[in-house]
Amino acid sequence: MSTPPVDVKSIFEKALECSDPSARAAYLNAACGENATLRAQVEGLLVALERAGAFLNRESEPDPATGAFGPVEPVSPHIPADGVTGTFASAPPATSETGSYVAREISLGVVIDGKYKLIEEIGEGGMGTVFLAQQTEPVKRLVAVKVIKPGMDSKAVLARFEAERQALAMMDHPNIARVLDAGATEDGRPFFVMELVKGVPITKFCDDRKLTPQQRLELFVPVCQAIQHAHQKGVIHRDIKPNNVLVALYDDRPVPKVIDFGVAKATGSQLTDHTLVTGFGAVVGTPEYMSPEQASFNQMDVDTRSDVYALGILLYELLAGWPPFSRKELEKVGLLEIFRVIREQEPLRPSNKLSTASGLPTLAANRGTEPRRLTALVRGELDWIVMKALEKDRGRRYETANGFAADVQRYLAGEAVQAVPPSGWYRLRKMYRRNRGLVLAAGLVLFVLVGGVIGKI
Amino acid sequence: MSDITQLLEAAAIGDRKASAELLPLVYEELRQLASARMANEAPNHTLNATALVHEAYLRLVGTADVARWDNRGHFFAAAAEAMRRILVDHARRRNQLRHGGGRHRVEFPENLATKATTSEDDLLAVDEVIDRLVAHDLSVAELVKLHVFAGLTLEQAAEVLGISARTAYRNWAYARAWMFQQLGGNELPTK
Repeated sequence: MSTPPVDVKSIFEKALECSDPSARAAYLNAACGENATLRAQVEGLLVALERAGAFLNRESEPDPATGAFGPVEPVSPHIPADGVTGTFASAPPATSETGSYVAREISLGVVIDGKYKLIEEIGEGGMGTVFLAQQTEPVKRLVAVKVIKPGMDSKAVLARFEAERQALAMMDHPNIARVLDAGATEDGRPFFVMELVKGVPITKFCDDRKLTPQQRLELFVPVCQAIQHAHQKGVIHRDIKPNNVLVALYDDRPVPKVIDFGVAKATGSQLTDHTLVTGFGAVVGTPEYMSPEQASFNQMDVDTRSDVYALGILLYELLAGWPPFSRKELEKVGLLEIFRVIREQEPLRPSNKLSTASGLPTLAANRGTEPRRLTALVRGELDWIVMKALEKDRGRRYETANGFAADVQRYLAGEAVQAVPPSGWYRLRKMYRRNRGLVLAAGLVLFVLVGGVIGKI
Repeated sequence: MSDITQLLEAAAIGDRKASAELLPLVYEELRQLASARMANEAPNHTLNATALVHEAYLRLVGTADVARWDNRGHFFAAAAEAMRRILVDHARRRNQLRHGGGRHRVEFPENLATKATTSEDDLLAVDEVIDRLVAHDLSVAELVKLHVFAGLTLEQAAEVLGISARTAYRNWAYARAWMFQQLGGNELPTK
């Protein structure tokens, strides 16, 4: 071609932004002048775009000129544009400093819905950003406002955001952050307002105050009850971890509050979520807290017992200082391997984890005791309780979050707990499966003898 | 895997051999991830090229290096090329099965294309013209590869390429028009 491509491209792109065919024609006159070839090339492309229709035209992309979402309405350059098109609309969209494309930027100081003044960004999830805000009416107070991220206006994401809001709104429990209000900003971005929880992650809270194992257990029980409440409302949290369980002081009493149902899934809902990625480089769920059934690529098979598992990991960390599969260990192996480890590898019992921990003196100090006493305290019943929640086979876990809480309460009351070490026969079966050849070769008598020994451990 | 990090760093300062070595490593990773997914999926599950690429990134580069934005471009360029092969292979197999395979039950998921519903026909069409686009306008072609094959949004692709989102959207419109024209202008080629 005699004309460098960039000319055609820039003229084409500028022509797209003209508000109507006559403005476009005028622009083309000015830009192409006498060069009929050039003009023909640009117009050819304009027609091609119009005719492209569904070709590479996706719901999730905003229209370059208006920011409107949805398939681009084709408009012939030769027919007067009617109001519905917007394809070749006038003003170029506003952009923020980072160049990200927003209809209008949500920034600090902005007042949403006339009542919530955004003060500071306090968190960011896959779909939305959480701000600290000052509510001005009908009452003055600090709240948390979660606004959907810019560029997240596809129907699927909107539906998920709405599902999260509804999930929260259905809850009514002292240990779950409350939804106070919801709506849409001036430019149509959904938001909802939550009770602001001025607290820290439960693990940090317990460490800062050097809470004993008993005190930690007492704080853990209401968390289970909160999750039970959610389950009864038909919502699985799916992302229980210390950062989502904040402890705040109300009248000097510590109150744990579960927040962020961002990946929650309503059990009865039509909306199924196959997306694994919520944001750039982020995977739904947190690997250390993922249950074995979540650690597969088929996310449809997750139920309330996944939450029970995650609660188990939480208790594990409260008692032993680290989750069974720590981030450091997981980072070494890579994501696919992470999933395999979660699905297949038996975790150390909390007391074993403690006794082999390098920072044991610190862990013990944070639990108001000494290393040996801590290990002895956790060994036995607390081990069993935690491990029951962490069973790979979810049928063997606590059936409900309340069941979990109840066993913890039994322990606190000095009563017999239901969690027992796997029975001799069960362990034998496991051992048999893993060492089939060896066992068969050894013969039945030896098998029984070995089984007897195992059962006593 | 520090090998990848080293390659990325070398590629970032212009080592072309390093760039070339990236592709097979990335391709292998993505291929393994893709087949692992397919082995575990129910037949109608839609797989997500975006997720695959990001997982591969996490796995190969690691979470510690995610913040090293300068090197991302090379990774995603390699990933886009790798995903192109994977996606196109599968789209072709699917088309074969659909039109020639007869009674053979489709074993793999319905649509391996990116979540934002790039249809298989579109995918194959882009594959057909992308090399021409590379010759015609390299920067636009890179945008198309990141968006269509690597599953990045236009905003993310803009970030990786170091252009503004607005430019990305405009270039995308240009790319669509140009490719459509190349493909015959009126309708997509029939199967």
